[in-house]
Amino acid sequence: MGTLDTLLDHPALWRGRSAAPAPDAPVWPSGHAELDRALGGGWPRGQLVELLGAPFGCGETRLLVPMLAACGHDGYWIAVIAPPATPWLPGWQTLGIPPERVLLIHTEHDRDTLWAGEQCLRDPAFGVLLAWLRGPVETALLRRLRLAASESRACAILYRPPNAAAQPSPAHQRLRWQPAASGLELHCLKGGGHWARSGQPLRVPEAPEA
Amino acid sequence: MGQPARPPHAAMPPEPARQQLSLLPVAATPAPVPAPQPPETRPARSGATRARQEHWMAIDLPHLALDALARAEPDPERLQRPLLVVTSGAAPRVHTANRAARRAGARPGMALGDALAVLDTPELVEHDPDALQAQLEMLAGVLLRFSDHVHPEPEASRILVEVGRSRRLFGGLEALGQQARETLVELGFHPRIGLGRSPAAARLLARLRTPAIAEDPEALRRLLSPVPLEALPLANTTREGLHAVGLRQLGDLLRLSRPELARRHGPELLDLLDRLLARRAETLPRFVPPPVLDLSLRLEHEIHATTALAFPLKRLLRQAEAQLRGLNRSLQGMTLELIHREARTRLTLERGQPGIRADEWLPLWQTRLERETLPEAVIGLRLQAPHLLNPADRGDSLLAEDPASRPPADQLPAVLARLRARLGEQAVARLINRRTPRPEDAQRPRHDLAAIPAPTAPTPGQRAAGNALWLQGPEPAAPPEQPQWLGRLEDGWWDHGQDARRDYACSRDRQGRRLWLYRCLRSGQWYRQGYWG
Repeated sequence: MGTLDTLLDHPALWRGRSAAPAPDAPVWPSGHAELDRALGGGWPRGQLVELLGAPFGCGETRLLVPMLAACGHDGYWIAVIAPPATPWLPGWQTLGIPPERVLLIHTEHDRDTLWAGEQCLRDPAFGVLLAWLRGPVETALLRRLRLAASESRACAILYRPPNAAAQPSPAHQRLRWQPAASGLELHCLKGGGHWARSGQPLRVPEAPEA
Repeated sequence: MGQPARPPHAAMPPEPARQQLSLLPVAATPAPVPAPQPPETRPARSGATRARQEHWMAIDLPHLALDALARAEPDPERLQRPLLVVTSGAAPRVHTANRAARRAGARPGMALGDALAVLDTPELVEHDPDALQAQLEMLAGVLLRFSDHVHPEPEASRILVEVGRSRRLFGGLEALGQQARETLVELGFHPRIGLGRSPAAARLLARLRTPAIAEDPEALRRLLSPVPLEALPLANTTREGLHAVGLRQLGDLLRLSRPELARRHGPELLDLLDRLLARRAETLPRFVPPPVLDLSLRLEHEIHATTALAFPLKRLLRQAEAQLRGLNRSLQGMTLELIHREARTRLTLERGQPGIRADEWLPLWQTRLERETLPEAVIGLRLQAPHLLNPADRGDSLLAEDPASRPPADQLPAVLARLRARLGEQAVARLINRRTPRPEDAQRPRHDLAAIPAPTAPTPGQRAAGNALWLQGPEPAAPPEQPQWLGRLEDGWWDHGQDARRDYACSRDRQGRRLWLYRCLRSGQWYRQGYWG
């Protein structure tokens, strides 16, 4: 298996069904070399990425700070939909994320969250979408979100509770995270590249304080 | 109403037609590209005065009352049944009858009793001259996009438009007439259009539904010659006198000597002939539209569900679009009043970018209305704009469509209006730094998204609390095992009794959460401020 993977990852070999982004596909940097490699260059723009895990606040947002900073720096908007807590924007600003580009959207139901996400993705002004789902949702709504994401140039991140892993999802990539000794441990549940096939977890240490 | 007469050829010196075009509100018209075409044949330039270049378009709206009803009627079935517009008074008469009623034998001018004898339970609607005049003036405002000289004639349900100077812009008289017709039909009206070299000729040709266009005096004469004298707006005695001497057509009249005609039938007849053949100028006052947007629509049927409001609203938005094009103004927000029997519901909508297109506003209003439950039935709509804007440069440029280009820095995403329409004004916000030290009240949500505020840097006090990502109201917490100290926050002793002295720290709890904590130096108690991220 290992030999085959090495062979399949050979740069001279192009596979038609490869879902990994092409080398020049637009990405936002993840700020972490190994994660960049595993994701195929960075957080993919024009894709829907699910991050599954609990509880809130283990560093799963901090994981995305380099992407958010790059997005804000490029003049794109960041949509934050139904977060479980209020963003502390002076903290975001210190980390390089322009607060005036952060749009906060409150919703009552998960359906509204997905609708708002879809609307934002259809607007070219947005570069990153962060949305939190509280419970299970219909696959049809997720499929709409995936479609909107693939027609956009934004990276759509959907945070879901860990039990959603049992339910199949149309997202381009699904990552499960759990807190580790220092930082996060990421498992790729679904994705196109070598990482998904290997089944190996990836440890992302906490970024040194900026 | 129109302003006092300003004779166009008296106010301005004769100029070539091309330069006069700049007076027109062209910026807002939907790209009526003047196609390159061979120059129109004109009479000899040297002798061509302004008056001779005038060309008038008369727009007759014989069904104005019915059209106005149909615009407010969401149920087309109802219009198939006989319907009469009735003038009230001691002896009510039929003012207008729709097609079904006319087929059954009802005629305008008939006494209502006679009409009721031939019709089986027709719908009766009261004639409202003021409403019709308002409709006509609204349409005059719409027609301002074709010319700056528009003159409504409410008593005849007619609008006259001087198009001699704008014909080239719209690609010729025929194309111009067609565009005017399409504009009015889209708004739900059924115009009859006549084009002539004088207002009188245009009126006559519109009434006769003659589509022919006469370019020079000789052609006009040929065109008008076969017109029966009954069609002319003449006094009854004159008409009878002419009939008695065997004159039947306008051409017969034109062959006679002028002094003789004047002597026998009065100078009014000569005056009419001169006006018809554009030998004598007729000055008409210019219509000046009110510079506000305030449109209302009375619904003949009560509407109980918000979804059913889409149809009349669409009409109203189209009308607003047409009127704003005529005024050459744009708008960013508007107010919709749902008129109930007793009360009114006011709804406002604000967009990220100004725009006037009805098909952009309608979906926004639909999402907005979905959120409303009607307290009672709606009997009317009123659309108002608090202030109109000067039109920006064309917003829908080619470059903005390119997804690869960066979004403009100072522009709000267009999606905001849709989000706010469905989720509510309070649901969409930006957080503004109030520059106070304590994190729990240092941020204020700002729902007014019209402008992008200047970024404010975090204060030193805020920096001392560390760059956590998520904030919560302080909650008492257990002392952490291994706190990583971040900094000390001390706000003013002047903050009577509210002053805070805190040591911030972050730490990891058993579940793996990274907590953002502080210890109150006054009490020694630990509190959770939020999450590190």
